[in-house]
Amino acid sequence: MVFKRQRIRSTSYLALWFGKLVYFLLRVAGKQGTSLPGWLLWRIRPSLLQELLQQLDQCVLVTGTNGKTTTTALIHAMLDNTKDPWITNRGGANLIQGVLAALLQHVSMSGRLLAKNAVLEVDEATFPHVMTRVSPTLLVVTNILRDQLDRYGEVDQALTLIRQGILLHPESQVIVNADDPLSASLGIDRELTYFYGMSVTPHHDPNRVEVRDGAFCLRCGHELQYEGFIYGQMGYYACPSCGFARPTPHFTGVHDDVKKNLQVTETMHQAESEVYSFYAPMFGIYNWYNLLSAIAVVRVLGSSPRILQDRLKNYEAPTGRMQTFPGSPQKILTLIKNPTGANSVLRAIESDAEQKSICFTINDDDADGRDVSWLWDIDLESFVTHTICQTYYCAGTRALDMALRLTYAGIRRDQVEVIDSLEKIDLVTKKAQGKVYILSTYTALYKLAAQFHEAQRSKAVQRS
Amino acid sequence: MTTCIKIAHLFPELLNLYADQGNLAVLAKRAMLRDIEVSITQVKLGSQLDLASIDLIMLGGGSDREQAVVGKELLRYKADLQEAVDAGLPILAVCGGYQLLGSYYELANKERIQGLSLLDFATIAGPNRLIGNIAIEWLQADGSPTGKTIVGFENHGGRTHHNYPALGRVLQGHGNNGEDHFEGIQYKGIVATYIHGPLLPKNPHIADHLLQKALRYRGFFEPLSVLDDELAFMAHNAMLNRLGVSMMMKEK
Repeated sequence: MVFKRQRIRSTSYLALWFGKLVYFLLRVAGKQGTSLPGWLLWRIRPSLLQELLQQLDQCVLVTGTNGKTTTTALIHAMLDNTKDPWITNRGGANLIQGVLAALLQHVSMSGRLLAKNAVLEVDEATFPHVMTRVSPTLLVVTNILRDQLDRYGEVDQALTLIRQGILLHPESQVIVNADDPLSASLGIDRELTYFYGMSVTPHHDPNRVEVRDGAFCLRCGHELQYEGFIYGQMGYYACPSCGFARPTPHFTGVHDDVKKNLQVTETMHQAESEVYSFYAPMFGIYNWYNLLSAIAVVRVLGSSPRILQDRLKNYEAPTGRMQTFPGSPQKILTLIKNPTGANSVLRAIESDAEQKSICFTINDDDADGRDVSWLWDIDLESFVTHTICQTYYCAGTRALDMALRLTYAGIRRDQVEVIDSLEKIDLVTKKAQGKVYILSTYTALYKLAAQFHEAQRSKAVQRS
Repeated sequence: MTTCIKIAHLFPELLNLYADQGNLAVLAKRAMLRDIEVSITQVKLGSQLDLASIDLIMLGGGSDREQAVVGKELLRYKADLQEAVDAGLPILAVCGGYQLLGSYYELANKERIQGLSLLDFATIAGPNRLIGNIAIEWLQADGSPTGKTIVGFENHGGRTHHNYPALGRVLQGHGNNGEDHFEGIQYKGIVATYIHGPLLPKNPHIADHLLQKALRYRGFFEPLSVLDDELAFMAHNAMLNRLGVSMMMKEK
């Protein structure tokens, strides 16, 4: 057993107390304090990250391009309990400052971590910083899809960063997506590695044009052949030239979007397969992937399926991950940030046969991506042939760009309504029949969530 | 006889970084609304490019690595392409595609990505990338103003210097090199630019300019009918406003 420090170095106390003070003041001021204290600590005492991380008994890291926040929330819901609390960074605070801020909330004044387990969401670019400071018990890679920032080879870079991080810790257990050729390449021929994948009827829809980044073999550069696509570049693939192919998953999921059920077949320990089912209120294939990977994580850590099923009942979708706001109309808020993510959200909406409208809220701040070209890579053409929406609302700083995109996808101009401020979305969409799906980029998401919460609260006050 | 034009989208699997399929969607839709038939051929790596049947070429942008692959592949067609360019074949070249028309793009490490040398210019990587929203005043081929603007987004590390007529004069943003206040090239049938976003949706006048060129190249000389572009120009003007240049245009 390696000797573990049980508290931080004495020279770090001042920084720690300062960070805790800032956190306390932010809370008093009614702020969330998810990143500022962490940002300050990282500036004044960067070694604190390592001093805190090394006190952990179990450290689970979640990285990848899409689905990190939901997967982390699911893992946390299944592991956290009063006897044995788990630290986590909520709400997508996945940079160093978010990780530090999450840890800070669980440190005593004497620098001891009071909870000894953590499940942390880590951005791809932050991943190397964390991997050089901790040996994770377990690491899960959700997927590697094209991001809005991927305008000059950043898919390649994300993959390289994650690969380098994994190479630092051959002793860590790794869980990767078998259906995604880019992620799968991280786990091929590696010890202590588990794969998860979906079993679905492969579909070949010639009308779907999606951006497929993994369509070329990473080993030899040949175009991969697919027996079927699931979404994005995920599917059943093989390279006809060098033999690289989808690995057989240790966790195979079959999802039922109607019954809200995920059946998992587990073959972790070669001998016999184990089959169990989970009820979960989610929809959209990408969310079933998130759940499947989360289940793989907690199973590898040794939890029994029954306990997990119980704890999953307490799960609530994180902000803007198909987050539901009841009312008339019902609003469902979800983040979109790149074409692949947006396509999978649209697929999920397609599967909803009820009356609905969509509100696209497109901002172009730094955190959203200032270049909105990606709107033209969303496969709206196929969406409008598969489903009917009553109205397409457009809001955000790039509302007009989105409106124009929609009309070019074949939507009539009189079905498109531009809303000139975020504050008016609630009011304008009141007249919508059925549900309103709100697809929002990052910077508008939290403002909208706060607004909708506030609207609900004031309504509740009026009633009482 | 129905009016029909053929567009070739070169290497969409490699040069698709800036949503150039948006440009094609705009060209196709605007042609369709005028009862002009459009066929779009995706020319992929290794497949044959039959230049004789093509009326418009779309050459998009990719990463440096992908651009090098395309440059090599297209070298096979250099003689044919040169002939077609001289005959006025319309080409829309964006970002990496623009750089490929010249003789080379020199990276920061002095490595050179060979271009097609269809035009006589070169691009050299600068110390930083030129990124952001951009607005230019569209110029006539003789350099006089058209009174119209072009808006979009630019994101390029390369600095291009050339002696051809520019597509426009930079009102806000960087343009070819961030120094001489010019953006793009227009020469014979070629429209080459660093502006994406994609280029055509918010600049319908450029889309029609290209369509008209393609039609003429095919031998159809009727003018294009006017379409309802209210929404496109609302989006166009919103960007001008944001960049603070709409006033400047009105004063002229």
